[in-house]
Amino acid sequence: MSFIKNPPLLLLLALSIFFISGCVNVPPVTSGIGSEQIYPGQKYSKHLQVDNKKLAGRLHISEIKSRKQNDLLQVNLSLTSTYKKSLQLQYQFQWFDQDGFVIEAGKSPWQPLELHGMQTTTVESLAPTPQVATFSLYVREVPEKFFKY
Amino acid sequence: MNKFLVTASVSLALIALSSCTNKSVVRYGDATEVETTNINFGSTDLQKVASQMTDSLLLSPVVGTLTVNTRPILFVESIKNKTSEHIDTESITDSISTKLLRSGKFRFVDMGRVAAVREQLEFQQNSGMVDASKAMAFGQQVGAQYMLYGNLASIVKSNKDKSDVYYKFTLRLMDLKSGLIEWADETEIRKSKEKEFVSW
Repeated sequence: MSFIKNPPLLLLLALSIFFISGCVNVPPVTSGIGSEQIYPGQKYSKHLQVDNKKLAGRLHISEIKSRKQNDLLQVNLSLTSTYKKSLQLQYQFQWFDQDGFVIEAGKSPWQPLELHGMQTTTVESLAPTPQVATFSLYVREVPEKFFKY
Repeated sequence: MNKFLVTASVSLALIALSSCTNKSVVRYGDATEVETTNINFGSTDLQKVASQMTDSLLLSPVVGTLTVNTRPILFVESIKNKTSEHIDTESITDSISTKLLRSGKFRFVDMGRVAAVREQLEFQQNSGMVDASKAMAFGQQVGAQYMLYGNLASIVKSNKDKSDVYYKFTLRLMDLKSGLIEWADETEIRKSKEKEFVSW
């Protein structure tokens, strides 16, 4: 094994191994925090779900309020950051009728939201039709890094 | 021996490097997901503008009183594109009018299809092919009571490291009888792009 004693050659080998192991396409983390289906007026705190512990350490749902306005269910969601840097988030509401069937499946858009360090903000959403009886919501980060070396 | 090893390692490194090149992969994505491909007006902006404007209109107390026992008839005048980009503003008004219709609060007349409707009615009335007792007559359509119209404006700024775009979308509801503006709202979007260091 003469090349072990040869430093430039060893470096070259190490470099090639580094490149082989390095370049991978990493699927972004798309889990977040959210809630199960909530009836208007129901206590929301028992229905929260955490799928992403890292995000849950930086962000928490501080309040969910709902009421009927012009026959339509209006929901206010308060989000509080416990992280010193800005968070690039997206949130989505889903709407269900009284039998638990989803209304307008796949049409509720993810809305972008920038939350500054330690900021609390309230976002609102309105049910698309008067038939909505329950809702659920989900918050996750906007994925940025796709490649890792 | 040493020469062979040098050649081998160099070619290995080259292979490893070349394997890092882009490979195109086709995937179906989530059409409602936040999209950050570039700074231009995109699907997320369209969805955000449409849902915020619809929510605001449907929540306003004025609309609450307008829609108590009736479904007012609206027509959408075009949204004027005052930005520096080419944006299909009809797509925004389509989204807004679809959402408003689906809420069950409003009805719409479509001014973009007047020529087609006239052609069809003329065919029914004058071609001699349609049973006269069942043909749709002229002059029985219902006129719009309110007009929905708006503007989309943008301010674009950039320097060598950063570019920033600000969109402002304004929508108004005018009572066609009195000419009064019954409701108005605007929504803003800020997008920026910065050069970032790539971390290894």
